Amino acid sequence: MNGLLKGKIKMVKTAYFDQYGRCIPEALMAKVYEQSRRYFSVVQPKINYAETYQRFDRVFDIANDLSLQEFERRAEAILNVLSDTGITQSVGVPIILPKADYSDIGQAIDDIYLKAVQQSFNAMFPDYSFVNHNSSSLAGQFSIASGSRHDKLIDAMKEGVVVAYFFPCLLEYSVPAAIEQISHLPEQFLLAGGFDTAAAFIGNPDLLVRKDGYAPLLWMSGLNVETEGVGYHFESYGYDLTFNRRVHLAKVAEYWASSLVVLG
Amino acid sequence: MTNEINIVNDSLLTPEEAEKRNGLRTRKPYVAEKLANIQTMEDRGEISPIIRLEKSYLCNFQCTHCSAEYYMDRHLEKVLHVKEDREQIDMEDIRELSRQADEMGLARFVITGGEPLVMRDLDEVVAAIDPEKHYVILDTNGWFLDDNKAKHLKLIGIEKVQLSLDSIIEEDHDDFRNKPGSYKRVMRAIDATLDAGLNLLLSTVLIKGQVHTKEFVELCKFATDKGVGLYVSYAKPTGSCTDHPEFVIEKEDADILRQLEKDYSVFTHMTPSYGSHKGCITVKGIITVTSSGEITPCPYIDFSIGNVKKMPLKYILSQGMNNPWLGPHRPDCLIGEDPKFIKIHTEKTAGATHLPLPWGEGFTENDSLTD
Repeated sequence: MNGLLKGKIKMVKTAYFDQYGRCIPEALMAKVYEQSRRYFSVVQPKINYAETYQRFDRVFDIANDLSLQEFERRAEAILNVLSDTGITQSVGVPIILPKADYSDIGQAIDDIYLKAVQQSFNAMFPDYSFVNHNSSSLAGQFSIASGSRHDKLIDAMKEGVVVAYFFPCLLEYSVPAAIEQISHLPEQFLLAGGFDTAAAFIGNPDLLVRKDGYAPLLWMSGLNVETEGVGYHFESYGYDLTFNRRVHLAKVAEYWASSLVVLG
Repeated sequence: MTNEINIVNDSLLTPEEAEKRNGLRTRKPYVAEKLANIQTMEDRGEISPIIRLEKSYLCNFQCTHCSAEYYMDRHLEKVLHVKEDREQIDMEDIRELSRQADEMGLARFVITGGEPLVMRDLDEVVAAIDPEKHYVILDTNGWFLDDNKAKHLKLIGIEKVQLSLDSIIEEDHDDFRNKPGSYKRVMRAIDATLDAGLNLLLSTVLIKGQVHTKEFVELCKFATDKGVGLYVSYAKPTGSCTDHPEFVIEKEDADILRQLEKDYSVFTHMTPSYGSHKGCITVKGIITVTSSGEITPCPYIDFSIGNVKKMPLKYILSQGMNNPWLGPHRPDCLIGEDPKFIKIHTEKTAGATHLPLPWGEGFTENDSLTD
């Protein structure tokens, strides 16, 4: 009896993600492509905890608060916990967020995180560029999207340095569909916003760089923007990485994706 | 209010783009205002495609890579042994198209073909479009574009000339165009266009591997030194290029070109411009009206999204935008890079005599990305 029950629980858990780690849409009201031909896909970068740690330490000076060993231990522990959910089939990268309590998320993204992405990207790709196309200030632009669980990440950052895993697995979801999907997932899955998405590129600047195909655009869906139907995102352009704002109007595109984050 | 919107939208422009916009504003304020509103329209989720008008396919060239060759009478009659028996668009259709486009806030027409400068009724077509309401561009091989013709084009309201130049090497250009002497005529046309005060855009077709060549970089440099943009169109597996699949580029070609954009005045249809980052511009940024009134979502896709003689332009554009291949944002060229769509397009158009395939035969209401 216990064995049957265990089997049933496992079946429910594995159904959240498909064999490639894409989060399976759960009868959503918002727009999403039920199936994917995986034309726009992220390729798993090689995970090297030491190099990733160095990149974070270079921009955030975290050595006093988190050792490399602790980073690797906490990150690997996340993967162990998630091993039977299917999400580990998705591309995933470990991230570090320093302890912080920002009064304005947009201001912090502008002043700290985008500059850190630029520094990290330039260090890995001196011949290419990180281009911020957004010409106006992000101050006051963002609030946490209701239902996204992104508040848990912001709260965790207030408590101390955060180690998490970032999974760009909500492929071909509209922004509202990504938020809606969260309510169908276990509690540990949070929708990525600005800090965590930027951190993914700080730790792995090559996350969207592909020579043989196109990677999807990644929305910061855990954050609501002042203007309805507008969002901010990271996107590759050739061998460059870009940050920009665009209208999405709750539409879906094969090229658009959002990301999940699991805290460790 | 309109001025405030325009100031905000102009802030997204490069200094060169802003200078051109201001020049137009003094000459054709109505057209300039419509162009300035495009960003606002896009922010509302509306589209503002350039309308390419192919009223006639008559041409004095027979180029290796021509996307319109299969639409030409010479191909239908000599190769396929059929006649063009579909109803053709007339001046009244063009006036009505212009009116509907204006009503929707659309602002740009490109007269193409075929070769527009062999059209006997070119002046009448320009008047039917109405250059006071629309920014009118002429797409030409330059053979007939001398000083007098350039001045005449300016006089009748053309704003910009798009001139084909396929290589900076004279022999290569002439070979690709199958027309000895055409390179020299292009050089003459460049000077004539600039001297007449027309805006100029050079256009070239990029084939696989060409982006690596010294000659291509020289072509980029030539355009930049002239102070004009070089519009690069990828060779697509359609039209005359159907027989040259080896011309179709790979992502690496596109990416190297994206890097060249940083150093030269070179761009593709997917390069961000005037503050807009559209990616593939099917329907969103361009449509083509064929001589039979069919509207295709791109000059290289031989599937119609509706016929302007049979249904309103607004409905046709909506039908196109609702198609999963065409409406959603994507960064790559659908017909130039997506193998699945290229296969569908090749299979459906194989053996077809009259292109484009009408709505329901090429694109359909039931199209899916995953079927």
